[in-house]
Amino acid sequence: MINILIIEDDENIAKMITATLSMVDYNGTCRYDGPSGAEEALKGNYDLILLDIMLPGMNGFEVMEAIKSCGTPVIFLTAMQEVSDKVKGLRLGAEDYIVKPFEALELLARIDVVLRRSNKTQDIITFGDLSVDIGRHEITLRGEHVQLTPKEFDVIVYFLQHQNIAVSREQLLSSVWGFEFGGESRTVDIHVQQVRRKLGLKDCLITIPKLGYRLESRDSV
Amino acid sequence: MKLWQKIFLSSLALIIVAINVISITLLNNSNRLLLEREQTHAINEHEYFTASFSNAVIYAKLADDKIALTPSEIRMIASGIVEGSGRTRDSAVYDSTGRLIAVNGMEKILPEISLNGFIDGIDSTGENYNVSVYGTDDGYKLVIGSALSAEGSDYRILTASDISEIYAMKKKQTDFVRKVSVISAGAISLILLITVLIMLSPLGRLNVYTKAIAEGNYRIRIRPRGSREFRELAGNMNVMADAVQNHAARLEQIAEDRQTFIANLSHEMKTPLTSILGFADILRIKKQVSDSERVEYAGVIVEETKRLRSLSGKLMGIVAMNGTEIEKKPVKLQDVINETKTALVPLLAKREINLECQSQEITISADEELFKSLLYNIIENAVKASPKGETVILNAAMYEGDAVITVTDHGIGMTPEVVQKAFEPFFMADKSRSRKAGGAGLGLALCRKIASLHSAKLEISSQPNEGTTVFITVPGEECL
Repeated sequence: MINILIIEDDENIAKMITATLSMVDYNGTCRYDGPSGAEEALKGNYDLILLDIMLPGMNGFEVMEAIKSCGTPVIFLTAMQEVSDKVKGLRLGAEDYIVKPFEALELLARIDVVLRRSNKTQDIITFGDLSVDIGRHEITLRGEHVQLTPKEFDVIVYFLQHQNIAVSREQLLSSVWGFEFGGESRTVDIHVQQVRRKLGLKDCLITIPKLGYRLESRDSV
Repeated sequence: MKLWQKIFLSSLALIIVAINVISITLLNNSNRLLLEREQTHAINEHEYFTASFSNAVIYAKLADDKIALTPSEIRMIASGIVEGSGRTRDSAVYDSTGRLIAVNGMEKILPEISLNGFIDGIDSTGENYNVSVYGTDDGYKLVIGSALSAEGSDYRILTASDISEIYAMKKKQTDFVRKVSVISAGAISLILLITVLIMLSPLGRLNVYTKAIAEGNYRIRIRPRGSREFRELAGNMNVMADAVQNHAARLEQIAEDRQTFIANLSHEMKTPLTSILGFADILRIKKQVSDSERVEYAGVIVEETKRLRSLSGKLMGIVAMNGTEIEKKPVKLQDVINETKTALVPLLAKREINLECQSQEITISADEELFKSLLYNIIENAVKASPKGETVILNAAMYEGDAVITVTDHGIGMTPEVVQKAFEPFFMADKSRSRKAGGAGLGLALCRKIASLHSAKLEISSQPNEGTTVFITVPGEECL
């Protein structure tokens, strides 16, 4: 279980982030001002901290200074778009910053990148008969090795990390192929079909009209 | 040409001309005096010569005992006199026919004298002398001519004295004056140059100073120095720099305020937008949303959307009031208060607050809707600050000629720091509490705007935990 501390003074935003995190089974804890957030960050054992900049008591930069010692990765949440603020945050040791307002999946994607960088994500994900070892780049279906191309592998990993969430083709494109990839959503469709066929996910990896795809966990089917 | 050059050159030219005119006049004057003295002297000698000539004639007549002398005898006498005086004086004698009968030392200038009619111009009565100066290779001669009648015929007698010395002296003096004037002009020009440069040096400093101001350095001030005009100019320029600095500071302040306003506005808009976008996105992509989740998520979206609506409403209010002329009409304060109270009934009921209103009969000139909005906002603040069951008191009365409306609550109050910032747009003393109550931090900013449109004063007196009183002072001119 991934534990994430949310330090955000707006209760509704904190609630929204908690709800977003719960979609991927991350556990979110909220603190609504600088001092109590810093205290909680130092006391608790968190994998990641989402830190607002405009906070009562202490601002985000001050909280950042105060919690440097615990070494927990920090992502800034900011309504400010000034480059100097971003630079300041990153220079203080933040892993990333997210500009408000943001979409749920964008937040999750940024969180995943940071968690992977700090090796906090699970290396082995199981999904029914399927077992994926991300570190060793291996995938087994009912105990047997399945051969996947690297991109197909990345696609199934992405779906496994975002179970029960509708993923658009654009999100897949930017996460698996990267932003600079100029390919079409057709490419995504072909890879998804391959993954479906090779791993027998015809019933689980469903197409949602106008939105994209969703990997639905078997128990909820 | 630069100013110092102009002043320097024109003064120098005037001084040199003045020196020369004065010295030349003095020289000519002294020369004339010398010449006159010499002339008097020469005339005396001429008279002496003439007298000795007539004496010699008379003496010859007496000696020879003749009644008359022949012209040749007279010529003899003339030659004798001329020769005799030759050591001291040049002289010449003409007879009545204009023939030269005796001459000594004047041979050289005689042709010139006879040419220009000097001899013919001699007064034949012998009472006046004809005086003239002739220049020769040897120098200058002062020639005096007179007529003398002897033995029945007129003789012309010329004597000449050497006055070269006077002319030599004049030349010497002229040379001296020229030298002195050149030297003194040099000295004067040097002194003048230094004086002009010193006197004009404040100009240079003023110039540097002006340039600095032009380059945007509004903080420097010049020390008034130099002559009075420069001190005055420097003083005035300092006044100008003060004005420029104040204007620049005010503009900077306005720009800064606007920047802050926009930054705050953007923050205030992004906060609800973040919740709205986030929850809407969750509702969109999450496969299964339970009923309680749906109610919660959609509830937040509705709440935050309302916040945005209130923000944009207040914002529109402030923007719309900028630059628009308000329409003032006579308004009875009691009516405005009563209508505001009616509008507040739901809020008062919800918060269980009692609103007590007392008002004298006052009519003011105001925009009714805006004034209602002003009262509404202030009473709303008082209600929100009060605990349940409390009373908010509104009192309107004339005080020292002005209409004063006070709104008093016994709520949480404010610290002096908060009171100071209370009118700033987007300032919220307690953010989470204000937001829960649907505030955007624009209420008092809007109130201040309305008050200023009515030339009214808005003041807050507050004690933490004791309560707050807001004073709206409408000046007497606005009261009817």
